[in-house]
Amino acid sequence: MIDLALAGAIDRPDGDGRAGGGRCDDAVRFTVAIDDGRIVAIRFGADACPSTTAAAAWLATAASGVTLLDAARLGTAAAQAVVGGARACVEVAVDALHAAIGDAFCRGASVPGDGRLAVAMSGGVDSAVALVEAHAAGLAPVGVTLALWIDPLAPDASRACCAPDAVRRARDACHALGVPHVGLDLRDAFRERVVDPFIAAYAAGATPNPCTRCNGDFRLHELVAFADRIGARRLRTGHYARVDELDGVAVIGRGVDETKDQSYMLARVPADVVARLDLPLAGRTKADTRAVAVAHGLAAAGVAESQEVCFLGGGQLRPFLRRAGVRASPGAVEDERGRRLGGHDGSIGFTPGQRRGVGVSADEPLYVLRTDVARNAVVVAPRSRLGTRQVWLDEVRLSVPQERYDAVLRHRAAPISATLHDGMLTLERDAFAVAPGQTAALYAGDLVVGSAMIASAPIG
Amino acid sequence: MIYLDHAATTPIRDAVFEAMLPYLRERFGNASEPHAHGRAARAGLDTARASVASALGAGADDVVFTGSGTEADNLAVAGRLAGGGRVVASAIEHPAVRERLLAYAASGGDVAWAPVTGDGLVDVAVLESLVQSDDALVCVMGANNVTGVVQPIAEVAAICQARRVPLHVDAVQAATALALDVAALGDRATVAIAAHKLGGPKGVGALVGRGVRTLAPTVYGGGQERGIRPGTEDVAGAVGLATALATLPNGERRAALRDRLESRLALPVAGANAPRLPGHACLLTGLRGDTLVRLLDDAGFSVAASSACAAGDAAPSHVLAAMGIDDRAARGALRVTVGVATTEHEVDRFLAAFADVHARLAAAARAVG
Ligand SMILES: Cc1ncc(COP(=O)(O)O)c(C=O)c1O
Repeated sequence: MIDLALAGAIDRPDGDGRAGGGRCDDAVRFTVAIDDGRIVAIRFGADACPSTTAAAAWLATAASGVTLLDAARLGTAAAQAVVGGARACVEVAVDALHAAIGDAFCRGASVPGDGRLAVAMSGGVDSAVALVEAHAAGLAPVGVTLALWIDPLAPDASRACCAPDAVRRARDACHALGVPHVGLDLRDAFRERVVDPFIAAYAAGATPNPCTRCNGDFRLHELVAFADRIGARRLRTGHYARVDELDGVAVIGRGVDETKDQSYMLARVPADVVARLDLPLAGRTKADTRAVAVAHGLAAAGVAESQEVCFLGGGQLRPFLRRAGVRASPGAVEDERGRRLGGHDGSIGFTPGQRRGVGVSADEPLYVLRTDVARNAVVVAPRSRLGTRQVWLDEVRLSVPQERYDAVLRHRAAPISATLHDGMLTLERDAFAVAPGQTAALYAGDLVVGSAMIASAPIG
Repeated sequence: MIYLDHAATTPIRDAVFEAMLPYLRERFGNASEPHAHGRAARAGLDTARASVASALGAGADDVVFTGSGTEADNLAVAGRLAGGGRVVASAIEHPAVRERLLAYAASGGDVAWAPVTGDGLVDVAVLESLVQSDDALVCVMGANNVTGVVQPIAEVAAICQARRVPLHVDAVQAATALALDVAALGDRATVAIAAHKLGGPKGVGALVGRGVRTLAPTVYGGGQERGIRPGTEDVAGAVGLATALATLPNGERRAALRDRLESRLALPVAGANAPRLPGHACLLTGLRGDTLVRLLDDAGFSVAASSACAAGDAAPSHVLAAMGIDDRAARGALRVTVGVATTEHEVDRFLAAFADVHARLAAAARAVG
C-alpha cells in the first residue's frame, strides 16, 4: 500500500531535503517541522517510480513524531524490507529523508538528552571500525558524515571521501547496527572555507595543504558543533593519532603506527576541539584495523583509501586550477641570477624541491627553489641551494609554548629541532625545500604543541 | 476489484468455456489418430478451423493454430525471412514482431522502420517510399496495443500488392473489434490473432492467410498444421479461439464506456484524433503512469502503464516515443481498456478513484516541482 496521506510540503520547514536525478529522473523531497528535536510534522513530495514513492511514503510515516535521531536510524535496508522494490529506487527516498534531517541540524536543531557519542564517519574502514567498537561498548554512538564539495568535473568523484557514495556507505554501516546516521551537507561552506583559500594560495605561488586547514579550521569544528547539538560530550574519529595532555592542555600526540601517523594532519586543531576528541585507533596499526573490520564483516574493509586532495576526486591539480580561473601562461625557468634556462607552460603548481617537469638540462640536477608569481618565473637551483635554516611563519597557534620545538615542515618530513621568535623559526640544521603554504607542525617530543603556516623561507 | 486492463487479456466468456469443455474431457483424443477418439477430436478441430477461416475471410487450409499470438507473429516473420531479404516494419510493432526483427537486424538483416504520425498512424506516404519491389516482408499491425490506434491496413495492403511484397498484419488487438478480410490483403499475406484477447483461453493463437502456404517451418515435428507448426493439436484451444471469434460482441458498448471515461477525465489522450479500438484509452496523466498503476491497484483497480521503470532504468514506450511524445509525458501514460462485460457503474467507480488518486499524487509531485 502506498499511503499518500503525508504527500505535500510544509511551508517554512525546519528541514528540507531533496534527492533524485539519475537515469530514472526520480525526484523526492521531505520537509519537516521540528520541536525540541522531535519531528512534529513531516510531508514528502515524489515524482518517482512506484518503489521510490512507496519508500518515501513509508519513511514519512515512520519518521512522523519521532526524534531526529530516531528518524536518522531509518535506512535503505529497513525501507526495502517493507516496501520491496530495487535498492537503487528505495535509496533515493532514503537520501531525501536524510537530507532533510541533516538540513534540520544545519539550521540549528538540537536533540535533548546526553550520554551520546558522535562518531565521524568517512565511509572508509577506519571510522567504520571506530563505530563498531563504540556500538559494542554501549557508548550510544551517532554517526555523522559531512558531505563536502567535490570538483564536479572530477574523473572519479565517487572515490573521494565525503562523496555521495561514501556518505551512503557510512550510513549503511551505521544502520546495519541500528545506529542513527546524520549527513550534513556542508558543500558550500567547504568550498568557501577550504577550497577557495586553496585556489588562492596556489594563485599566489604557494603550495597549500588543504587537509590541515580543513581539520584545523573547518571539519572538526563542524563535527564538534554537531556533537553539541545531540548532547554528545565527545567526538570519535578514526584518525591514527592520540589525545594527550600537557600542562593541563589537551594536545594531539603521534599514533603508534608510524607509517599511518596523522598527528601532522591534525596539527592545526585548536586545544578546545582536541579536548573533545576520542581517537580509539591511537594504539593501532592499520593492519590491526583491517583485521577488526574483516572480523566484523564490514563492507568498508575493502574500500580503497585515497591519499589525494579529496575535492580533486582523482583529477589533476593543474586542470582543476585552470578551471578555477587560475591563469597559467608560459614563462621562464631560470637560475637564481635570473638567467633563462628553459621554459614552462605555467608556474602554478610547481613546488620547492620538485625536479619533475623542470625540463632543463644542466651539469648537476636542478630542483625548483621557488616560484616568482609576479614574473611568472620558476627559479631552479642545485640541491645544495635548497636547504634553509630560517622559516617565516604566519598564523602561529601555540597551545603549550616551549623553548625548543621539533618542527615538521611537510607531511612525513623528519622533525628538526628549532626555536621560534617573532614568527621566525630558526632550525638547528638545514631543511630541504621548504614550501610556503605548507603547515609547520611544532612538536614537543611526540606531542603537537603548536602550528603555523609557512610564509616564506629565506635562503642561506 | 475492478478490471480495466482488457487489452492485456480479458476473461474467458461462458459460451467459450462451455464449448471447450468436451474437448478437455470426453473428446480428449489425439486429432491425428484415425480411431474414434482421434476422429472426435479431429471433427472439433476441423470445425474450429473452418470457423476461424470464415470469420477472417480465409480458406480453411490457410489457418495455422499456434501456441500464442507471439508465436503466430514469430512464425510469420521468421518463416518468411528464412531466405533473408529486406523488411519494412512500422515503428510501433508489438515486441512479438519488433523483437524478432531486432534480432534479425542484429544478425545482419536489413530492417527499415516506417515512422508514425503524432496520432500514432503509420505514415503511409513514407511507408510507400520505403517499400521496394524485391523486399521480403512488410509488417504493419492492425491496431496498436498501447494506443488502440487502428492502422490504415487497406492502404498498406495496396502498396504491398502493387510491389508484390508479402504483408504480415499483427491483428492480435485489431481482432477484438474489427472485421478483418484476409483475402483482400494479398496472396502472400498473413494475419496473427490470439484467443485470450477475444474472450478465449490463454495459450492459443492462429496465423491466417494464403501466405501461410509459402512460409518455412520454424519448428520441426510430426507434420501437424501443414508441417509449419507441428505438435499434437490443442483442440480445446482451437475450439475456444473459434468460438470466441465467432461470438465476439460488437464494439458499441465498449466505445460508449470509453468515451464516457475520456470525457469525464478531460486528460490528453494519445492517438485521440485517429480511429481507435473501442475499448482503448491511453491517458497522458502528467504524473508517473507506473506509480498510478500501483496506487490504483491499492484502491482495487487493475489498469496498465505503458512505460515502466525496470530496476533503475526508465524505459519509455517505443510506441509513444515514435509518436513524438516526450519521455516525461510518455512516463505518465496510463492505459485503461474496457471489456465486453465492463459496466457503466465500474467506469464511474474508476473515475471517482482516479480523481482521488490523481489529486493526491499530483500534490506529491507538486512538492518536488
Ligand atoms: C498487438 C499484439 N501482438 C501480439 C501480442 C502477443 O500475444 P500473446 O500474448 O498471445 O503472445 C499482443 C498481446 O500482448 C498484442 O497486443
